[in-house]
Amino acid sequence: MTNVNTQKYLPLVLALVGLMVSPLIMRSLGLTPGTATDVVIYAMAALGLNLLVGQTGLTSFGHGAFFGIGAYAAALSQKYWFEGQIVLPILFTIVFCALLATLVGALILRRRGVYFSLLTLAFSALTFAIAFRWTALTGGENGLGNVIRPALGVLQLDQPVPYLIAVSVIGWLVLYLVWRISRSPFGHVLAAIRENEQRARFQGYDTQRYKLFAFAISGTVTALAGSLLAFHYRFASADPTSVTFSGELLAMVVIGGMHSLLGPVVGAFFYILFREYLSIWTPNWLLYFGLLFVGFIIFSPKGLVGVWAQVKKRFKPEKETDAAMSARKIYQGLAFPSFLQPAKGDSVALEVSGIAKSFGGVKAVRDCSLTLHSGIHAVIGPNGSGKTTTFNLISGLFVPDQGKVTLYEKSLTGLSSDKISQLGLARSFQITNLFKGLTIYENLRLSVQARHKGHFNIWRDIDSYELVHQQTAELVKYLGLEGIEHSEAASMSYGGQRLVDMGIALGCHPKVLLLDEPLAGLAAAERERISNLIQTIQQYIPVLIVEHDLDRVLGFSQNVTVMNDGSVLMSGTPDQVRSDVRVQEVYTGKGTPAIQARTAASTNAEDVLLSFDKINSFYGKSHILNEASLNVRRGEIVALLGRNGAGKSTLLKALTGLVEPVGGTIMFDGQKISGMAAPDIARIGIGYVPQGRGLFAGMSVRDNFALGRMNRVNPAIGGTYWTEEKIFEYFPRLKDRMDVAADYLSGGEQQMVAVARALSGNIKLLLLDEPFEGLAPAVINELFMVFDKLRSEVSILIVEHNLDLVLALSDRVFALERGQVFHEGPAKALLDDLDYRKKILWM
Amino acid sequence: MQFIFFLEQVLNGLLIGGYYLLIALGLSLIFSLGGIVNLAHGAFYALGAYGAVVLTQYVGFGGALILSPVLVGLLGIAFERLLLRRFYQSDPILGLLLTFGLAMIAEQIIRMIWGSSPLAYSIPSALKGQVVLGDFIYSRYRLVMLLVVIGAMVGLWFLLNKTAFGRVVRAGTQRPDMVAVLGIRLNHYMTGAVVLGVSLAALAGVLLAPLAGVHPAMGAEIMTAAFVVVVIGGMGSFWGVVLAAILVGVVRGITTFFYPPASEASMYMLMILVLLLRPRGLLGERIERFE
Repeated sequence: MTNVNTQKYLPLVLALVGLMVSPLIMRSLGLTPGTATDVVIYAMAALGLNLLVGQTGLTSFGHGAFFGIGAYAAALSQKYWFEGQIVLPILFTIVFCALLATLVGALILRRRGVYFSLLTLAFSALTFAIAFRWTALTGGENGLGNVIRPALGVLQLDQPVPYLIAVSVIGWLVLYLVWRISRSPFGHVLAAIRENEQRARFQGYDTQRYKLFAFAISGTVTALAGSLLAFHYRFASADPTSVTFSGELLAMVVIGGMHSLLGPVVGAFFYILFREYLSIWTPNWLLYFGLLFVGFIIFSPKGLVGVWAQVKKRFKPEKETDAAMSARKIYQGLAFPSFLQPAKGDSVALEVSGIAKSFGGVKAVRDCSLTLHSGIHAVIGPNGSGKTTTFNLISGLFVPDQGKVTLYEKSLTGLSSDKISQLGLARSFQITNLFKGLTIYENLRLSVQARHKGHFNIWRDIDSYELVHQQTAELVKYLGLEGIEHSEAASMSYGGQRLVDMGIALGCHPKVLLLDEPLAGLAAAERERISNLIQTIQQYIPVLIVEHDLDRVLGFSQNVTVMNDGSVLMSGTPDQVRSDVRVQEVYTGKGTPAIQARTAASTNAEDVLLSFDKINSFYGKSHILNEASLNVRRGEIVALLGRNGAGKSTLLKALTGLVEPVGGTIMFDGQKISGMAAPDIARIGIGYVPQGRGLFAGMSVRDNFALGRMNRVNPAIGGTYWTEEKIFEYFPRLKDRMDVAADYLSGGEQQMVAVARALSGNIKLLLLDEPFEGLAPAVINELFMVFDKLRSEVSILIVEHNLDLVLALSDRVFALERGQVFHEGPAKALLDDLDYRKKILWM
Repeated sequence: MQFIFFLEQVLNGLLIGGYYLLIALGLSLIFSLGGIVNLAHGAFYALGAYGAVVLTQYVGFGGALILSPVLVGLLGIAFERLLLRRFYQSDPILGLLLTFGLAMIAEQIIRMIWGSSPLAYSIPSALKGQVVLGDFIYSRYRLVMLLVVIGAMVGLWFLLNKTAFGRVVRAGTQRPDMVAVLGIRLNHYMTGAVVLGVSLAALAGVLLAPLAGVHPAMGAEIMTAAFVVVVIGGMGSFWGVVLAAILVGVVRGITTFFYPPASEASMYMLMILVLLLRPRGLLGERIERFE
């Protein structure tokens, strides 16, 4: 424990010692105490800036403005109101700049990311323009002189050393303030915002308010430093408000190291040393400082502190504390943590009635209603049926166009996600959504903390919230993460991250829990354990769950809602769902194809065009393709089947070179294409029609075709090549659409353009990803016939969830599950024998 | 007479807006293809102006008008290949910091070579004098400048909308992945766009040199103004940027007429107003990655 305490107080002690010996150090370096004062003042300004940059992740190019305004505020208030004073002008600066920073922050924080940075830059430029031109007030170019440093008690501030002492005391207090903030609940929320603002909102934090507060404190601290500068030089000018100086301040933070408390201090010290020494022999010392700055950005964005950590590691290697899931302790049969048990409500837990949402003309959810009383309520449905969008509408990520959502009779409709979370609805995400740079423990504690009344406290040390820690520890143990809770979330395996994602939702102390595919990507044993966990949770908290593992989800849920095409197909018990013909049709088709393809031309098994052999692929931590293998022969249509998330689209992307294939080899027409760049693969005869068509919006059909033709017409390749005439032959109606913007076409026409564009070049293999998705039956027929005819010209590899269609079209089938091919064979057997099809592909 | 003077100020404002436009369009182009806000863009503008000062001695103003942007464009190739390219995929903030550092270095290099005080550079004698239209008198050089700006704008629009290069660039800003699977290597086009962007900035530098003066801080000065234009218009939108440049120019012109000292501050006020009403800029679209 003492060791932890030393760690905790170390920066404060180091700074104290540093400040006490600073005059001596400066003398030994041949510099004056006045230079030491400079270091402390700049360090303070940089500390203030780093509260935004390092702590909150907001890069401000405008803090020079606060620095300069602080100096003016002190100088002017002394001149007009507090003649001969020093304490009152400084206090005035603090109050004035706190108000100003709040106002400016409220405006600038309307935008995020790069735009935020640009606005801060403009703020700085505006300040400079005013300071430089408003000569009557600021003295313009000449600046504002005659600032007085009066005696304060025994301190003759007029002298350099006493003033250094006074500035040092204030400097240390500022460091103490920043230290307190960074250790407070408030400070930890700022770090959460830096890592993942959206998730922090879903934990119930009003992030905008946190950011505004951080901006105000940060600006005020920098302005305080500015006021001390005015007294230091007895002078205030427009120079510090320039964008250039803002950038220098930022450079101090970056060079020192933004993710460390003392980093900015080190950076400021470095800056002054550079200035003092280099300016002796060159007036252009900023050149070398700039080179250093750029060097750090390219080679070590973590700054000097990061370099030091690297060096230290070299001499004293840290213990490997990786997040191997094996290092954790799992307790069997743990009781559900009592603090998470909500009071039992009598009314309906969650009532969704008639919600709908469109995105740019596409109706993602047409009409969804469901009622959750208690236990587990599953939402199932094929890819694109609107399940996740429904979750997004309920949890406040999007506002529904129409319809209502109520939680225990309280309306949630139109509320922001943080308010919804505070009212008791928490969710997990389909795509893992964590605070990656924070530890597992911190991830979960942030959730627990959000329900604590001290969550906005900026002063109390996080360690002193015993209840929060006790509850977090209980949650960690319950989830089975004990033993690895202090490793970084990003270092965990994919399955572990899924678990933490669910834990973040659970830690919010919800009255209703929404889980979006909690079992996806988990290994078998872990699946078993997590589903047991969900089953104990549901005894206390009603759970709404989206899950593709149908066997399991129908096994443990009490109610099921089936969605298709944005609407509710049916609701009922799992047994009702299992026996419902319509549901089976949605998943496995009717068994009677609407259209019959010509019987496939018999292909020669030896004549392989594409062989895809034992390929792996990764997306972050998740293993998408796992030793997947398949092959396509000349003149045949091969279907690639599998559930949502099985890796079908990724397989196509690995083929095109858009996703890097790992291990294994891909051979295409006698040439090894694994490892080649996407444009080079495209040029040797692979055409690709992605899911969602991938047309260039705002560009005409003609332009889309022209881009297709630009680099891929090469008769030496062979295969088929669709000239404009040939396109019109297959799709006559495109003739009148050539000059229409691609995004103005109907869905069917867009799909035709996408196919024709892919074939506008010499193509031997065509890849189709969900080509029939969202199309009207007549258009499906038309496309089907075209693909059928095409088999004499090119080979086709098709991903499609409408089984009746795709089985009628294709010659052979490969089925994927968790990135592996588990079935391979002729399509005909699956097409004709519905029982066989169910056995292989359904549940 | 009063009205004529007013008109003249508005025209001057438009001219200034035109130069912001040349800078802002280049910025916007680089941003929409590579995702980097190039804070060093002003440095290329300054280099264009200094290039003009040096080159005019040897090849005259006409030669410098062409040669200076070309040389700066060559520099742009190195800039894109060696530095910018490393940052397309990383956090946009790093690109911002990198280009800021480069701007700082460029300014210092200019100071080292040419000194800190402004260089004299005057209007070429062929373009001196006034154009008189009744009561309305306007500088001939400024009129020529206005024509060049309009020409550059039309040319850029043509390049982006009517040529193969433009097709690839526009497609690449939306779906770089789809451009790749159509067999097109986007890298070369990235270089092309950066070269085009910095050459436009250099062109503005040459043209503005006789009017605004040639001094080391000129790049930093015009940069912030160009950003204001881009923020008002909306990043990545051609017509948004054009509209914003005109608006900024007119507002500055009018302010100069009524109260000259506030001319610079007026455009920031305009920006604040636009932000309050339309946080994404006049015609800006939402680009998730940069928010």
